Amino acid sequence: CLLVFGSLVAVAQDVKISGKVVEEGSGEPLPGVSILVKGTATGVVTDFDGAYSISVPADATLIYSFIGYLKQEVSVNGRSVVDVSLPLDVQALEEVVVVGYGAVQRKEAVTGSVASIGGDEMREVPSANITDALQGRLPGVDMTQTSSRPGATMQIRIRGTRSLSASNDPLVVLDGIPFAGSISDIDPNSIKSVDILKDASATAIYGSRGANGVILVTTKRGRKGQEAVVSYNAFHGVKTLFSDYPMMDGPEFAAMRAEAIRTVDELGRGATYPNSSDEFDDINTDWQDLLYQTGKVMSHDVSVAKGSETGNYSFGLGYYKDEGVVPTNQYSRFSLRAAVDQNVGEYFRFGLTSNNSYGVTEGNQVGVADALGSSPLSSPYDDQGNLKRASQASQDIYKVWTKESIEDAQDVWLSETKTFGTYNNIYGEVEAPWVKGLKYRLNLGMNYRNSQGGSFTGIGVTSASDPNAPSSASISSAVTTSWVVENILSYDRTFAEKHSLNILALYSNQQEKYNSSRIVANDLPADHFQYYNLGYAEGEIIINPDEQNYSVWGLRSWMGRLMYAYDNRYMLSATLRSDGSSRLSPGNKWHTYPAVSAGWNIANESFMQGVSQINMLKLRVGYGETSNQAIDPYSTLGRLGTRFYNFGDNGDESYSTGYILSELPNTDLGWEYTQTWNFGLDFGLFQGRLNGTVEYYKQHTKDILLSVDLPSTAGVGSFVSNVGETENKGIELSLSGVIIDNLDGFTWEAGFNLYANRNELVSLTSGQEENVGNWWFVGQPINVIYDYKRTGLWQEGDEHMDILEPGGNPGMVKVEYTGEYNSDGTPVRPIGAEDRQVLNFNPDWQGGFNTRLSYKGIDLSIVGAFKKGGTVISTLYGTSSYLNLLSGRHNNVDVDYWTPENTDAKYPRPGGLTAGDNPKYGSTLAYFDASYLKIRTISLGYNFGGNWLDKAGISKLRVYATAQNPLVMFSPYHKESGMDPESNSYGDENQAVTTDIQERLPVIGTNAPATRTYLLGINLTF
Amino acid sequence: NDILEETTRERFEPGFFKTEEGVVGGLTGLYANLRRVYGQPYYYNATETGTDEYTYGSQADGNFQAADLSGLGIPDAQNSRFDVLWNESYSAINSASAIIANGTEAAMPDELIAEARFFRAYGYALLVQTFGGVPLDLGGGELEFNTAPSLKSVRNTVPEVYTRGVFPDLEQAVEDLPDNPRVIGGVTKNVARLILSKAYLTYAWWLENPNNIPTYPETDRTDPDGMSATQYYQLAYDVATAGIDNPGPYSLQPTYYDVNLAQNDRNSEIMLWADHTEYSAKYNEGNVTGWNGGDAQNQSVWMVTCYFHITKASSDPATWSPVDAFFRTVQAGQAYSRQWSRMAPSIGVFTNTFADKTTDSRFDGTFTSVYRATWNYNTSRTETELYGANFLPIAPNEPVLSFIPSDPGGILYDDTYNDGTEAGYLPGRADFVVPIDKISRGVFPGLWKLGPYRQGKDYNDDKVSSSRPYNILKFSELYFVAAEAAVKGASGIYTARQLINVIRGRAGMWRYDVSQDMERIEDNSAAMQAATPATIDINYILDERSREYFGEGYRWFDLARTQKWEEYAGTYQISPTVGDTPATVNREIEPYMYLRPIPQGQLDRMDGDEAYKDNYQNPGYE
Repeated sequence: CLLVFGSLVAVAQDVKISGKVVEEGSGEPLPGVSILVKGTATGVVTDFDGAYSISVPADATLIYSFIGYLKQEVSVNGRSVVDVSLPLDVQALEEVVVVGYGAVQRKEAVTGSVASIGGDEMREVPSANITDALQGRLPGVDMTQTSSRPGATMQIRIRGTRSLSASNDPLVVLDGIPFAGSISDIDPNSIKSVDILKDASATAIYGSRGANGVILVTTKRGRKGQEAVVSYNAFHGVKTLFSDYPMMDGPEFAAMRAEAIRTVDELGRGATYPNSSDEFDDINTDWQDLLYQTGKVMSHDVSVAKGSETGNYSFGLGYYKDEGVVPTNQYSRFSLRAAVDQNVGEYFRFGLTSNNSYGVTEGNQVGVADALGSSPLSSPYDDQGNLKRASQASQDIYKVWTKESIEDAQDVWLSETKTFGTYNNIYGEVEAPWVKGLKYRLNLGMNYRNSQGGSFTGIGVTSASDPNAPSSASISSAVTTSWVVENILSYDRTFAEKHSLNILALYSNQQEKYNSSRIVANDLPADHFQYYNLGYAEGEIIINPDEQNYSVWGLRSWMGRLMYAYDNRYMLSATLRSDGSSRLSPGNKWHTYPAVSAGWNIANESFMQGVSQINMLKLRVGYGETSNQAIDPYSTLGRLGTRFYNFGDNGDESYSTGYILSELPNTDLGWEYTQTWNFGLDFGLFQGRLNGTVEYYKQHTKDILLSVDLPSTAGVGSFVSNVGETENKGIELSLSGVIIDNLDGFTWEAGFNLYANRNELVSLTSGQEENVGNWWFVGQPINVIYDYKRTGLWQEGDEHMDILEPGGNPGMVKVEYTGEYNSDGTPVRPIGAEDRQVLNFNPDWQGGFNTRLSYKGIDLSIVGAFKKGGTVISTLYGTSSYLNLLSGRHNNVDVDYWTPENTDAKYPRPGGLTAGDNPKYGSTLAYFDASYLKIRTISLGYNFGGNWLDKAGISKLRVYATAQNPLVMFSPYHKESGMDPESNSYGDENQAVTTDIQERLPVIGTNAPATRTYLLGINLTF
Repeated sequence: NDILEETTRERFEPGFFKTEEGVVGGLTGLYANLRRVYGQPYYYNATETGTDEYTYGSQADGNFQAADLSGLGIPDAQNSRFDVLWNESYSAINSASAIIANGTEAAMPDELIAEARFFRAYGYALLVQTFGGVPLDLGGGELEFNTAPSLKSVRNTVPEVYTRGVFPDLEQAVEDLPDNPRVIGGVTKNVARLILSKAYLTYAWWLENPNNIPTYPETDRTDPDGMSATQYYQLAYDVATAGIDNPGPYSLQPTYYDVNLAQNDRNSEIMLWADHTEYSAKYNEGNVTGWNGGDAQNQSVWMVTCYFHITKASSDPATWSPVDAFFRTVQAGQAYSRQWSRMAPSIGVFTNTFADKTTDSRFDGTFTSVYRATWNYNTSRTETELYGANFLPIAPNEPVLSFIPSDPGGILYDDTYNDGTEAGYLPGRADFVVPIDKISRGVFPGLWKLGPYRQGKDYNDDKVSSSRPYNILKFSELYFVAAEAAVKGASGIYTARQLINVIRGRAGMWRYDVSQDMERIEDNSAAMQAATPATIDINYILDERSREYFGEGYRWFDLARTQKWEEYAGTYQISPTVGDTPATVNREIEPYMYLRPIPQGQLDRMDGDEAYKDNYQNPGYE
C-alpha cells in the first residue's frame, strides 16, 4: 500500500509538459536550447523545430538557456504546455574582440586598431593556412605570395614595412602563447577567430615582439553548457594550371633564332646560336605540357566539443593534402588539437590547449627551369621513341623530364621535409575570494618544433651528360624549443554600473632555442639507401660549419595595462611595458615604452538618441611606442667567417680550415622603436545593416637596426647598427552591409575593404642620402626598384644614338638619359650608371571584397582582392631568369620583338647589343604595372533542411562547390603574359642569376606555375 | 643562467685571432682568398682581354666585349672586372691586419705573422698598380684592422701606398719568413723577394713615367724617401738576384712542358698558387662533381676554349652522316676543357709572339693546337672508327681538328664534309684544318697549360671547375724581374741577356710534343740562346714574358707597368671567319685607362655626395 501510495504520490507530483522555444520577436524556432529543472541535473534539449517535452514536478522552475540569448526562468505552475520566447542577448551578440593576454573586449569598447575575422568567414576561402585564407580580407593586412609551391605560406605585412634589415613579420600568438612555429602548422579548420592588432596601443601589450603587429589566433573550445557536438568538414578538389609560362613554340623560336643570326651577321659582331645537332626547325615540343600534371587537393577534419557548467573540452583531428601541378610537389599535414577548461571549486580554474601538427613537404627537387629553357625544336624522344637523357639547345644542355619520368624516378630523386610541431599552453587561474574581480593567472607555454629534411639524387639521375654522375644525399634537422612563463594579475570590475575598470599587470620570461644541422654525403654505393644511411657514402661527407646553427635568445618583460570605460561612452586604455632582450648590447638591453588610447561612443550620448539611422558611432585615437629587437642573436659579438683550403693534394693532411673577419663587434646596439598615432571612426547605420571603420595612422620608426653594406674598402661586408628612420602612414576603410535582408528568403550581403600605405625612408646613416647597394634612398619608400627607366626602343634615325649608346643598334632598349646637354643640343656623355633612377614598386592602394547571396538553403559567395599601381617584377621578361636573352641560345619568352620590318615592337631586336648574356638594359623589361583584380574564390553552397536531418541526428549539413583563383581582370601583366600577376618568389630565388634584384622584393620567377582549383566540400554537424 | 645573457656555441668571435690556432686559421683564410681572384674567370678576362694576347671570343658577353676596347664599350665602373680584385683584396688586407695586431699582442711567432704581412703587402701591390692610390686606412687607422666600420674612404697616393703599405711589410717578410714553406704552397722568404722585387720594379717605372701616364690621386712623381727610379730599379735587381742566388726549395723545371703539366702540378718552379682539389668539395670550396658558380672556382680556361667539341665526323664512310667526334668529359685530359669561347687569341700571337713553333718548345707547351677524337669516352658509343674529311678514317685519339702553322692555300671550306664548324679540309687529310694565321673568334687553339685534369676516373662531366691549382708566381720570374731591371740600368753579376738566356735555354728543351701527343726528346737550348739579341730591350723582355706566361693573367700588368699597352695592343688581327683574310681591329686605349675604374659597388656603398664620389673615382670614368 505504501508502495502504491508512494507511486501515486510520484505520479501526482510529476507532470509531463511540452512546448516550443522560439526567438523573441521573430518567432523563429530555436533548436538546441538547453532546458534544466532548477536545482536538479535533469534536463532536455529542444529539437530541430524548437520543441521539447519533459516530465517535471508540477511546481518546478525551468531554466532555458541558449548561447546568444538571455537566460529565462519559467515556473511550470501546473501547465502542460510551456512555450517560451528567448530574447536576444544584445551584449553577447555584439562582436567580441580578443585583445591580448586573455582579455576579450566587446568591439564597442575597443580603443585600439583591431581587425577581426571569424573562423567560418575565414574558411570561405578553403586553404592550407591562414595566410592564404586572409589575403585581401582585412584592411591594412597585406599578404604577399612568395612561393607557389604546395604548402607555402605568404609574407605578411601589417601596415607596411618598417624595418630595413630586422624582421617585418608580425608576431603570431596562438591561444595566448607566442607561436614558435610556421603558420603552416596551424590547421585553419581549428580556428575560431583571428584578431589582428595593428596599432601601437593594441600591440604595446606584446611589447617588442609586437612591433610589426600581432596576429591572435584563437582555436575552438567547448562552450559552457554545450551538448556534445561532432563536426566533420571535408573538401576534395583538382588543381589545374592557371597558365603555363609563356614560352615560344617551335616555329616562333626558330624564327627568332633566325632573326638573331641575321642581326649578328648584319652588325658584324656578337654570338650566334645555330641549331645544335639535336634541333630541327620542323619539331615543336611543348616541354611544359610534358611536365605538368593535374594535382589533387583534399582536406578532412573531425572535431568533437562538449561543455558543462564547470568545464568543457574539444578535440579535433585534421588531414590536409595539396598536390601541385609539378610532379612530386606536394604538402600534407596531420593535425591534432585538444582544449580543456575545468573549474575546481568556486575559485580555481585550470586549462590546457594543445595544437599539434605533422607536415610533410615533398618534391622541391623538381623545378620548371629545364622545361622553360629547353629548345622547342628538340624532340624529347630518340629515334627508337625512347625518352632522351638530355636535349641540347644550341650550346646549352638540358635534362629531359616528363611527368611520367619524374614519377618513375621518385625513389632515386627526392627531397622532403618532415615537420612536427607541438604548441601547448597550460594555465591556472585563481579568483581572490575576498576581492571581487581580482584574479591571478599563470600561463605556461611550451613549444617544440622539429623539422627533418632529407634529399637524394641517385647515380646520374639529374646529370644531362653523365649517366654515371655520383649520387648525393643530404639530411638536415632543425629543432626549436621555446617556453614562456607569464604571471598575470588582473582586476575587472564595474562600479556603480557606469565605471568599468580592467587592470592587468604582467611579468613574463621567455626563451627560445634554435639548433639546426645539415650533412651532405656524396657517392652512396647503392640507390636504395636514399638519404637514410649516409655512413655508407664512399665520397666526401661534408658538415659545413656555416650550415650548423645554434641560437638562444631571451626576453624578460614587465607590463601594466589599464582599461577604463565610463557609461559605455568614454573609454581609455593605457599601457606601459618594459622589455629586456638578450640580443642587444649590455647597457642597451632594456627599453620602456608607453601607449595610450581613448574612445568616445558618440552614439551612446543622449543627444544622439533621436538619430535612429545611427546605431553606432565611435571615435578612437591612440598613441604609442613599440620596439623591435629582431636582430639575430649574437649580432653584437662580431664573427669570423669560414674559409676552407687545401695545402697540396695529399688528402686529409692537406685540408685546413681558415677564418676571415666577416662581422665586426658592435657594443652600441640598442632598440629600434616605432611611434604610432592611430585615428579611427567606427560606425553602424540603419539598424546594423551597414557597418564600417575608417582609420588613419602614422608611424615613425627610429634607430632602425640596419645591416649596412659597407664599401669593399671597409674590409668587412656589413655591420648592424641603429641608424635611420622610416615613416608609414596610411588610411584604411572597411565596410560591410546587408543590402537585401531576407526579402522573400533572399539575402544579399557584401563586404569591402580598401587601404593605402605610404612608406618613406626618412633618413639613413647620418647625412647619407642613399645606399645604392641596397636600393635605399632617403625620401623614397623602402621598397623601390633602382634601374634605368625604359622609354621604348631605339629606332633608325633617332637623335644622338651615337653619343648616348656607342656601339648600339636600332631596336635596342632605349632608356632615359638624365645628363646635361651641350649648347648644340647634344648630350655630354653616353648613358651610364648615373642614369639609373628610383622606380616605384609599392601599390597605390589595395583591398578586397566579399559578397554573399542566399536564397533559402542556397548561397553563393565570392571573395576577391585587388591592387592598383605599383610594379610586379617578372624575372622571365627581365635578365635574371635568362629566358629573354633574345639571342636564340635557348628557349625564350614569347615576346613581340623588334625587327627592321616590325619596328613598333616592345622588345628589343634579337641578336642586338648585349650586356652580359642579356640584351642591354634587359632588366628594365621585367617591370609591369602590378594592378589586378582577382576573384579568389567563388563558392556555391546548399544547406539541407528538413525532418530527415533531424531523424538522422544531423543538426547541420552543407555541401558546396568552390572555384579558386578563377579569374584575373584589369592586370596589364596578365593581359600580356596570360599569367597570374601575383609574385611567387623572393628576389633572390627561382632565377638563373639571383643577385640582381634585392632579396626583399617579391618577384615572379620560375617557381611552380600558378594554379586554379575546383573543390567540392561538405560541412556536417551532429 | 640569466636569460638575458648570450653565449655562442657555433661560431668564432674575432678574439680567436689572439690564439695560435686562430692565427694559423687566419692565415689559411688568406690563402683561401687567393682562389677568389686567381682562376676567377671574369678577373682573368680583365687581365687578358684587350692586351696583345686576347680579344673577345664568339660567345663573349658585354664584360668581355667592353674589355677589348674595340668599340663595344669600355671597361667602366660597372663592367670592368677588376672589381674582383678590389672587392676581394680589402677583406684579406683587413684580416691580415687583425692577425698582425692580435698575433703581435699575443706574442705569436714572427714567421707566422710574416705570412700575414706578405699577403697584406701583396694585396696592396696589386691594388696600387691597378687602381692607383688606394686607402691604407680601412676605418681602424692606417694598416690597422677595422673596428669602426666606415662608409667613407680616403685614397692615399701611389708613393704612400708603396712606401708605407707595400715595401715595409715585404722587407719585414723577407726578413722573417722561413726559407722553406710552413705548408705545401706556403709563402717563404723567396716568395716575398719576388713580390718585393716586382714592387720595386713597378714603382720605379711609375717614378720614371716614360710615357707620361697620369696617376691618381694626383701627386708628384717623387719618392717620400728621396730615392730615384734608378735606385728602385737597382733594388729590384738586387732583391731578384738574391732570390736567384738563394733559391731555397725552388728551381726551374727541366722543360717548359713540365712547368704546366697537370701531373707535375705544385712543382719546384711554382712559388705560389691558388690550390684546388678534386677530392673534397668542402676544402675545394666548390662542387667537385658538377657545375658550381661560386666565387672560389678555377674556371679561367673555359673562357679561352672554343667550341671544338661540336666538330662532327661521319659514321658512314660513303654518305655524310654526322655524329659527334668528341665527348665532353673531364677524363679526356689536359687538352680538353669545357668551352665558353668568351676570349680568343689574336692572330699576332701565332705570327709574332710564337712565330717560332719548332725550336722553342713554348708554343707547344702553351696551346692545344690539335684536338683528337674522344667519342670513345662515351660508353654508349661503340664505333671503332669514324670518317672525317675525304671520308678518311679517324680512330679514337687521332686528330679531328688541327691548327696548321700557316695557310698553305687550297683549303676548302665547303660543306662536302660538314663538320659543323668553320674549319676547312685539305686533300688527303682526315682532320679538319684551320690555318693558325686565319683563326676567327669562333675557332682558335685552346690553352693547354691551364687545361683541366682529373686524377680520379669516377667522374665524367666537363662542367666541373678545374681542380688543378691556379699558378700565380713562378721562380722563372725572378730572372725576368732582374733582366727588366737590368734593361732599365740596374747592374750586378748577371746581364739582362744572361738572365733571359737561362729562360730561353730551358725553352729549347723538349721532352714531349703535346700537339703530336708523343715523346720528343730534343735539346735546342744552344740555338735558342744564340738567337737571343745581343742587346736586350724592354720590348724583347715583354715578348719573352708573353712566350713564357701567355694566358696566365700577367699580360695587362706587364703592359701597364712598362706603359706599353697602347703600343702592344693598339691594333690586332682576327679573321671574320676561319680562312678569311684577317681583319685589323683598332683599339682605343687612352692614357687614363691605365688606372682601372673604382667599381660602381664601392661608390654606391660609400657615404658622400656626387662630388665626393667623382673625386674618389679615377679620372675619365666619372
